[in-house]
Amino acid sequence: MASATDARYGQKESADQNFDYMFKILIIGNSSVGKTSFLFRYADDSFTPAFVSTVGIDFKVKTIYRNDKRIKLQIWDTAGQERYRTITTAYYRGAMGFILMYDITNEESFNAVQDWSTQIKTYSWDNAQVLLVGNKCDMEDERVVSGDRGRQLSEHLGFEFFEASAKDNINVKQTFERLVDIICEKMSESLDAADPAITGAKQGPQLTEQPAASHQDCAC
Amino acid sequence: MDLTLLKALEKEKVLEVLQRDKVLRSVDDERVRRLRSELQICRREAVSVMRQYGERMCARCQRPLGQLWNCGAVCHSCSHRICAACRVVSGKRSWKCTVCHAYRELKIKSGEWFLEERAKKFPVEAEKYECMGEKLLKSYQRLSHIYVVPPTPPPFGKDPSLGKAMDLHNSKPFTKSVENLFVSFTTHIKKISKSQNDMSVDQDLLTEDYCKSPTREKRSLSDTAINKSSTAKDPSLRDLPKKVDSLDGHLRAMGSDDNLPTGSGYAGNKRNSTSSCCSEFTYGGGVSGEIQLAVAYNFRKSSLEITVGACKDLADGDPKRSKCHPYVKIYLLPIKFPARKLKTSIKKNTVNPIFKETFSYKIEQLQLDKKTLQVSVWHSGTLRRKAFLGEVLIPLQGWRFGDEITEAPVWYQLCPKSKQSVGGALEWPTGSLLVKVNLSSASQEGRVQYQRNEIHFGQIDISHLTVMVTGARNLSVSKPGTETFVKGCLSGAEHRGITQVTPASSQWGHKLVFSDVYKVHLLESCLELELWEHTRSGLGERLLGSTRLSGDLIWQQIQHEPNGWHSLTLPMEEDGSRAV
Repeated sequence: MASATDARYGQKESADQNFDYMFKILIIGNSSVGKTSFLFRYADDSFTPAFVSTVGIDFKVKTIYRNDKRIKLQIWDTAGQERYRTITTAYYRGAMGFILMYDITNEESFNAVQDWSTQIKTYSWDNAQVLLVGNKCDMEDERVVSGDRGRQLSEHLGFEFFEASAKDNINVKQTFERLVDIICEKMSESLDAADPAITGAKQGPQLTEQPAASHQDCAC
Repeated sequence: MDLTLLKALEKEKVLEVLQRDKVLRSVDDERVRRLRSELQICRREAVSVMRQYGERMCARCQRPLGQLWNCGAVCHSCSHRICAACRVVSGKRSWKCTVCHAYRELKIKSGEWFLEERAKKFPVEAEKYECMGEKLLKSYQRLSHIYVVPPTPPPFGKDPSLGKAMDLHNSKPFTKSVENLFVSFTTHIKKISKSQNDMSVDQDLLTEDYCKSPTREKRSLSDTAINKSSTAKDPSLRDLPKKVDSLDGHLRAMGSDDNLPTGSGYAGNKRNSTSSCCSEFTYGGGVSGEIQLAVAYNFRKSSLEITVGACKDLADGDPKRSKCHPYVKIYLLPIKFPARKLKTSIKKNTVNPIFKETFSYKIEQLQLDKKTLQVSVWHSGTLRRKAFLGEVLIPLQGWRFGDEITEAPVWYQLCPKSKQSVGGALEWPTGSLLVKVNLSSASQEGRVQYQRNEIHFGQIDISHLTVMVTGARNLSVSKPGTETFVKGCLSGAEHRGITQVTPASSQWGHKLVFSDVYKVHLLESCLELELWEHTRSGLGERLLGSTRLSGDLIWQQIQHEPNGWHSLTLPMEEDGSRAV
């Protein structure tokens, strides 16, 4: 049944309602660190060495089975180029988790991590879950950012850390699964923190009929 | 390399992504809607149980509970006593009753937990989830719509900028569209990132058609800005961000003060239009087609929200020229009160207009039982001649507000005018306020700003407006001897409202004086009068009703005969409900 178009646009995945919940994830980082390759590896298990710059935004959908739940992931891939920044930052607000990526063979992309993290703090919710990923760890010969530096920075920023390779399929799946897990943790945390007081109060007026209070005395 | 092509590709790429996202979201909305209605059923059962249960009964299954054995326990979330069978254990020793558990599940499955968390940082969130993509799509569709429509003369010959904007679009539809997209991108994004919490303003802009007056200025200006930069240099892809930046600055500069005029301009528009409510109408090419409406009640804001989605297969309003410029008018019957009329924007040259406009009436839910929603479709012809295209009457009695399924958009068949609505207002014991108005004028040299950009020099008529309330008719609540007072507010497009309050008195003849009123402004002004009474205890005050004096016809009449007294009978809104 699945035609070529279906596969290309992931329409079958999109229309599938058979899941328990949906998480939205955003991948950010400098241009050409491998965000799109990372996503293609995870979603389609494919890799192309050719570099095609992402135009604005794109996303892919993948449904995974985790902790007895089917979780649909909408993974947004963003353009790293500065000129699309206004478009991409607009999507920060809808994301529950982030993959912040740098290229271990590119010092500049590593130095920009701090800025990206500030962007997240500015445009996203307060409990945004972030994983720091050093991509292209297959290119050991050209490495300029050591694993320790990456780890240190991630500890400093309070993120979890992975070194990964989209090309050799190292730690790609693990990264996404870990991110899903920490979002799940955040979710239970937030529900339990709010629970006895807020849930109780919320249900009160809905179980009884309508509040009859009138405040029509608008003086204008 | 062909740069135009690249830009078109770029545009297409982004649009394709947005479109895919839209599909995904609609699928998800459907899923969440289903989840919610499941919870609703679950809750409704719980409610029916709650009404009957006594102290020693499980709130969920109604099984009796013992004193010592199987005595139940209190659910921490809802504080009801629950038997062992109606609990869902979620962790070590912690449990919830079935309903509270279902609610928690819904929060997880719908992603509501995230929205709640996010609301802590961005308190005012107009819509759920990612409305971003939706906005971009909508604004793109709207923008592209402008250049698809063949050029027509501006609606009432008032605004030349609109025609100009259309010409521009026609001359360069291809490259323009990309730029439009980016302009809309950046405007919306700027708005979002700038104010972060002021989504409501943004929504206003979006629900309004781009052609409408509040945004018209902005659009035409950005168009000229684009035009300049594209004639100066061949537009190329690399230039685009720069161009966008300069536009940003432009828009930001305008954005700082554009909230106020937008708001008042829009309000003025609406008020002026109330004068047309009693004018005559003709039938156009008959009545046909359907209209999509969603009627919901917003319990938080205590207002009735009506969303006009679209119409399809309308009859031609002007069959001779086979033209149709439809718009939709809404009244909350039985009292056809002009000030409470709501109107959509006018769509040009289409029998399948898409409105997507939401209106709200501030009204208590209990009062809705007596009301009927009248939604009529009209053709806006030349010289303000209009033609009736059909209507729908929706009695709100027994309407299940709060029910997702009932409140979903529904297509209604348009009908010919019903007896009930012919001839304007229905017989209904409505009160009215008897008012005398006097305009005494004095001229002086000077200048006055008019219509935001024109400035008039020379003889300026400055007047004093005196309003005397001489009585009330059919006011069901007023008893002789009660002390009443009148609150009046004169507001217009050019000035903030001036509020005056009369001293309380048991006699009629409350007098309000508004001094230094510019005659030129008066036409656009709206005088709102509220009649209050002191309650018998003398401690509180109560609003008996309110009324409005607006519309240029009435003001012209008053201006025509200065220094004389004009007696007017103004219909009152007694229940205090009013259009927002």
